[in-house]
Amino acid sequence: MGVGKPGVAGAGSPAFLTTRLDFVVNWARRNSLWPMPFGTACCAIEMMASAASNFDLARFGMERMSFSPRQADVLICAGRVPYKLAPVLRRIWDQMMQPKWCVSMGACASSGGVFDVYSMVQGIDTVVPVDVYIPGCPPRPEGLIYGLMMVQEKIRGESLANHAALRAEDPLAAGRPRAGDREVADLTGPFGNSTRQNRVSGLVETGAVGRAEDRLP
Amino acid sequence: MTADSSSSGSFSGFDLVAAGPGASREDAGAAPAPDSVAPGNPSVTALRERFPGAVFRNEICAGDEDVVYVDPARIAEILRWLREDPDQRYDHLADVTAVDYGGGRALEVVYQLWSIPNRAALRVKCELPPDRLEIESVTGIWAGADWLEREVYDLFGIAFGGHPNLRRILMPENYAEGHPLRKDFPLRGRFSRAEQTRRALTQDPEDYYVPGEIAERVPQVVEEAGAAAGEGEGAG
Repeated sequence: MGVGKPGVAGAGSPAFLTTRLDFVVNWARRNSLWPMPFGTACCAIEMMASAASNFDLARFGMERMSFSPRQADVLICAGRVPYKLAPVLRRIWDQMMQPKWCVSMGACASSGGVFDVYSMVQGIDTVVPVDVYIPGCPPRPEGLIYGLMMVQEKIRGESLANHAALRAEDPLAAGRPRAGDREVADLTGPFGNSTRQNRVSGLVETGAVGRAEDRLP
Repeated sequence: MTADSSSSGSFSGFDLVAAGPGASREDAGAAPAPDSVAPGNPSVTALRERFPGAVFRNEICAGDEDVVYVDPARIAEILRWLREDPDQRYDHLADVTAVDYGGGRALEVVYQLWSIPNRAALRVKCELPPDRLEIESVTGIWAGADWLEREVYDLFGIAFGGHPNLRRILMPENYAEGHPLRKDFPLRGRFSRAEQTRRALTQDPEDYYVPGEIAERVPQVVEEAGAAAGEGEGAG
């Protein structure tokens, strides 16, 4: 379906017309990003502050919060997500139309944060694909704005020529975890104050004391 | 001091945590717990007179909070009397919760009562052996006990007999790892994270939020339960 023939001018490197079109399309997309706020905790307070007059997210093209996923471009997951909420998050992501991006705001959304417990999703990237992770607990509004500007930077680098690869989405993947079992295990290993590993470097013995019964397979 | 800490080998604070809570004064057997202390709340004395065999002991907690330990087999009868007796009138059930002390000890079901007319608080506790976690529901006495008992059932696995809708309320409907607030429950759950994620995404969120369910269920069930319990008392 045209995957083998990227660009308007046929196979090979993107032609002049494609690159100019890229510029216009990306310019339009990145300056009219409407966020879908998925606020579940204190990060949402900072998200609201970012949209309010002092920080005024609308300056950067997030003109309004889109409370319908069907009119939204970027999902901002702000706060901790329990397993009970995971299918809701996944359904909202599935309902958003392409092109769409996802921002994981704060420590809990990105990694589970301090909630390394039975009820909490250990990073929403096990459930939906994430473009930008914003650290902080919670991040300041400047942090969220910076994260959204990184989404804009990402859009700036996109090209219609590899559009199919960028937007590939399998309809059968709707409602399923984004990551496979092995990847989930890698991503969600215990870390934080009870740790013997951390998320960046994989298995690392930190010498921290843990209870053996907390680590049942 | 340094020699002492090096000889212990591991950080003893965590060992204590792993060992669970220590024996209470009563379990240690140093001194038998007093059968009763002078209660601050006259309802305790009245309870003892009305239900001589069913009130095991009472204590005073945090200075002025009266706690009564009663027979779990007669809990509904006792609580109904506390609500309906003209001298007691504990018409507000502030909370139903439970405590697991671990180590195979009894789980406590806690009823926190408040009497609006008398401005008096009373805490009623029942001890259930861990192998038989059943107690009668009080939804027929206070309709507000419905969700509180569901929460206790969900998190501790205590079955409330006669509850109109005893199912999980906080954890997902398809949660199969047990009851998370039990002391023997591992912090991160029993399944792997991959399995937990997969199971989480197989739930249907609409199972929990059906508007028709709320409209059709709540008023009728509460009325029926109240009427049925009332008849039972009259017959007995």
